[in-house]
Amino acid sequence: MNEVLKAVGNIFLKMPKGFVVTFKHLFKKPITLDYPRKKNPMTARYRGKHYLERYDDGTERCVCCGLCAAACPADAIYMEPEENEKGERRAKMYEINLLRCIFCGFCEEACPEEAIFLGQVYEFSEDNRNSFIVGKDDMLVPHPRKDNPLKRIYRRVRRVYGVTDKSK
Amino acid sequence: MILTQESIQEIKEKTAKYPRKKSGILPALTVAYRQLGYVDDEIYHEISKVIKVPYVEIAEAATFYTMFPKKSRGKYLIQVCHNISCALLGADSLISYLEDKLGIKKGETTADNLFTLISVECLGSCSTAPMMQINHDFHENLTREKVDGILETLRSEA
Amino acid sequence: MAEATKKDMPTETAENMVTLTINGRETTVPKGTTVLQAAKELGVHIPTFCWHPKLKPVGACRMCYVEVEKMPKLQVSCALEVMDGMVVHTDSDTVKQGRKAIIEFILLNHPLDCPTCDKGGECDLQNLTFAHGVDDSRFEFQKYRFVDEGMTTTFDDRRIGPEIILNRNRCILCYKCVRANKEAFGEYDLGVYERGSIAEINAAPGEQVDNPFSGNLVEICPVGALTNSDWRYKIRVWLTSTTPSICNYTSSGINTLFFKENHHNKIYRVTSRPSDDIDDGWLPDVTRYGYQIVNSPDRLTTPLVKKEGKQVEATWEEALEIIGKRFGEIKERLGGVCVGALVSPGLDNASLHAASRLMRVGFKSNNIDFRGDYRYLPESSESPFMRLCSRPFKIADIDDSDVIVTFGSDLIREHANEYLRIRKAFNFGNARIFAVNPYQTKSADVSSLELVYLPGTEESVVNGICLAAIEDNLVDAKRGEKFKLKTPTKSSAEAAKVSGVDRESLRTVAEALAEGKKITFFTGEIITRSRQRDLIASALINLHRLFGLKGRAQMSALARYANSKGAEKLGLLPNPRTVVVDKLRGLWGEYPESPARNTDAMMALIKKEEIKGFLILGSNPVMLYPDREFVKEGIEKLDFLVVADLFETETTELADVVLPLASWAEYEGYYVNLEGRTQKAARAVKPIGQAKPGYEIASLIGEALDPEMFQNEQQIHSEVRQLLELDSVIAYPDDFLEVKADTDGSQGDYNLPLYIIDDWHHSGHLTEKAPSLANFASEPYIEIPPQLASELKIAHGDSVRVESEVGKVILPARISEHTQNNVVLVPRNFSSSNVTSLLMRKKRVDRVKISKVDE
Repeated sequence: MNEVLKAVGNIFLKMPKGFVVTFKHLFKKPITLDYPRKKNPMTARYRGKHYLERYDDGTERCVCCGLCAAACPADAIYMEPEENEKGERRAKMYEINLLRCIFCGFCEEACPEEAIFLGQVYEFSEDNRNSFIVGKDDMLVPHPRKDNPLKRIYRRVRRVYGVTDKSK
Repeated sequence: MILTQESIQEIKEKTAKYPRKKSGILPALTVAYRQLGYVDDEIYHEISKVIKVPYVEIAEAATFYTMFPKKSRGKYLIQVCHNISCALLGADSLISYLEDKLGIKKGETTADNLFTLISVECLGSCSTAPMMQINHDFHENLTREKVDGILETLRSEA
Repeated sequence: MAEATKKDMPTETAENMVTLTINGRETTVPKGTTVLQAAKELGVHIPTFCWHPKLKPVGACRMCYVEVEKMPKLQVSCALEVMDGMVVHTDSDTVKQGRKAIIEFILLNHPLDCPTCDKGGECDLQNLTFAHGVDDSRFEFQKYRFVDEGMTTTFDDRRIGPEIILNRNRCILCYKCVRANKEAFGEYDLGVYERGSIAEINAAPGEQVDNPFSGNLVEICPVGALTNSDWRYKIRVWLTSTTPSICNYTSSGINTLFFKENHHNKIYRVTSRPSDDIDDGWLPDVTRYGYQIVNSPDRLTTPLVKKEGKQVEATWEEALEIIGKRFGEIKERLGGVCVGALVSPGLDNASLHAASRLMRVGFKSNNIDFRGDYRYLPESSESPFMRLCSRPFKIADIDDSDVIVTFGSDLIREHANEYLRIRKAFNFGNARIFAVNPYQTKSADVSSLELVYLPGTEESVVNGICLAAIEDNLVDAKRGEKFKLKTPTKSSAEAAKVSGVDRESLRTVAEALAEGKKITFFTGEIITRSRQRDLIASALINLHRLFGLKGRAQMSALARYANSKGAEKLGLLPNPRTVVVDKLRGLWGEYPESPARNTDAMMALIKKEEIKGFLILGSNPVMLYPDREFVKEGIEKLDFLVVADLFETETTELADVVLPLASWAEYEGYYVNLEGRTQKAARAVKPIGQAKPGYEIASLIGEALDPEMFQNEQQIHSEVRQLLELDSVIAYPDDFLEVKADTDGSQGDYNLPLYIIDDWHHSGHLTEKAPSLANFASEPYIEIPPQLASELKIAHGDSVRVESEVGKVILPARISEHTQNNVVLVPRNFSSSNVTSLLMRKKRVDRVKISKVDE
């Protein structure tokens, strides 16, 4: 009988004591992220999915020199050059196999034309392996850029003063 | 043929002296230049036929020397030295002064066909820099005033 | 490029040697050697841009600076001759500083467009900048720019020839291209104009750089100023790997290097693999660009089998089953002698030998030949002409010959490599060079005297030379008497009249032959193709005997194709020499006794329906045999024809079974060049589609007939080795030979001699499939001497009707640059020209008449 009373007493005395911790956390700010709706801002030098830059007049910066492919430790880059209408060199085919890529950023370092950059995009899951081989069309930034004028000014500021862009 | 029979004859005589045909290029060009006042692609071809040296060799030699212009020049050819000694003593400003004065750019000829202005490498008169050569005469230790005077004299002579 | 060898240096004798010290190491070299060469011999590397082992030094780039003690300034080692007691430093601080300054100077106006430059990765300037240069420029002004109209400020690529692209901004003015063009090739279509910082290399105005050696200019350019469209923007050099190979279009066996990429199974370019004994490191364009046929999309990839009159794709099994059945049937019903074979002299030794084995063991037939484009071939392999062919010849010996005679050879079209050798002897040596031809050729540029004889009078020319020597007592009188007994021609004047060569010229040649210490005398295709080649060869053998050339001359009829010599040695002829026959009998235990037939005889028998089955490996007789009707009619009558080739050709059209043949780049093969030197062409890529090499095709056909016929590939190779070891030289006869002048008789209306030639940039029937070579010439034409053209009022490009007794074709005209006398030339390389339909096999000289087609 005594033991029964002791057990009942425990329920009312010790359980609330334990729940205090639980209820305390209810009112704290959560440390997890509401992921698909909210996204984590990446660090400025995060190395995500590659993109290919253009000149201001829209011509591709990439001349298909092959230095990124030569620098790539994972042998993830494949390219084929061709001649454009003026007789200048440009890429006919530029492919990166994102499954092989180790996102080391050597291609960005090697590029003499400042054409390839590793961007902030990290969401590129696919349901088949072939889709991970991304071509030139997937990587070239659109021309003219679709984003708003403020962003354009911001990018110029970034270029001039070395401030990093967090949106791309 | 643009070259006259006399010129061709003279070229043949002069080049016959050389054991190698190629040596005859400069004498032949000189004869042609004296007749025409210029030597262009067409003349190279004619000379090439006369002295039987490949066309390219003649074009190479002719374009190397400033003495064989492709277009005819004015009565007075002003050659200003732009090499080191003259450059240090103001050949560049002298050239631009001449350009302003004559109203032409380097390499051009005045409208009255009197003066042609070019700049050349060292003419071997460094001790008296800056200097220029007009036709066959040297004019040394030049100043702007001196240039004015020279041009005046030439104009009046012409 | 090749290391300078001892051969390029003056001869070594004790008093001719000089001792000097380079980097503390003493060395002794012959007088006249340059410091650079001496250092190279020692293994000391000195960087250079403008130096080329086969050209005279100019000292234009000044990269090869060395410090010589007691000399106040740095010296250019490429132009500095060695002197006794010289102390040279190539690696001192002063030298390093000098090099650094030179690199900085060269880079002043050099654009930084390495990423778009095709030379990137193999550029001398890039490499030497990394090794010796500075990392920054002190030049703060605008770089000088050549800009073409409508181009951006750095871009100045312009085509200066069908293949060559020039970028003047990248040029560092080493003059290597201009020097090579003038010195080594004797071409004057490229020059340096202006001077100082605006000096530029360019094509002569209005001209194209389209000479048959122009590809070399691209190869020797130390920077990316000269590039070609073959390699333009295709692949980076570091992605390719190399395979040594040899040229399949010329008989010299020019050493080449394939640049290939394994993932794509594709060859990207060919460069030289300098060999001083053979090619000096120069490649003719046909060698350089001819590899493109390997990558051609038109290649045959599967066997084709004729079903209901149409060729349809089939598998190898099907094709072989049909072949086994049909050939077996013919063999059983009529005997193996009713089967014949024609193989291409471009195939390797193993393929040739396998074919020979197939015919001689499998069919017990002697009907096999490798010469598909010559008429009236010698029956016996010991005929005078075959004797002449078998004589030893060394390409490198041309260099120090003091008399060189080329007889009946449009040299640059047939033996481009030997042409360059002769040009070298002409430039550097004091050789007397004679070109004896029925029409003026470009060889005239490098000849002290050019003899032009009337077409079809070759033996009179040779007799004329001999008689002139006898008359002027240049040779032993006793021998002269004997010679006269055998020759109906009475005097050199008579010979001169018949041949149209003046007696003075004949005498000059005779004099040179009598005096020469080291003579090179060879004949070319004009003799080989002549129906009277045996007669001419007899005359030449007489000449050899009369002048006592033994021991002081190399005299030979040069082989024309990559492996003609090998085919000759392996007994691919109907009647091989007794040594070869004995050897084959020993190897196989049997040798057919059946009558032997050469190409002509086989074709005649096919026409008579005595040969029923035929196998052609890589040859195209319908296009190349000098009587199209004769061959075509015959081949159409065949019961069963098997053709293996790389492409669909005029001959494969008529075949019952077509097999895809692998090209020389696709399997390992050994080839014998015209000197008798066996060289290897390694396998660069996998065979395209289901193509198979010749020896595999021959052994598969053999197996289809009799499963036990071929044991293995090793057996073929060992047999080939044993056959090649046999001594191939056939001695000359002991007495003078009878030489009776032959004439073709009257030709009526058709009086204009026609010669079939190779285009400058083509060889044989395959090269028109190479796009780069097609850029130079892709259409057939007729080359007409200027005088005749003006008589007939024919201008360049006009359509000309060419008629012979048997045929008629219409070709656009081209005014000849070299030929002056009344002879017309038509290239045989274009299948659309149908030129062989003009020819008759009985003719010694083909004659035509031409007229302008009125529009």
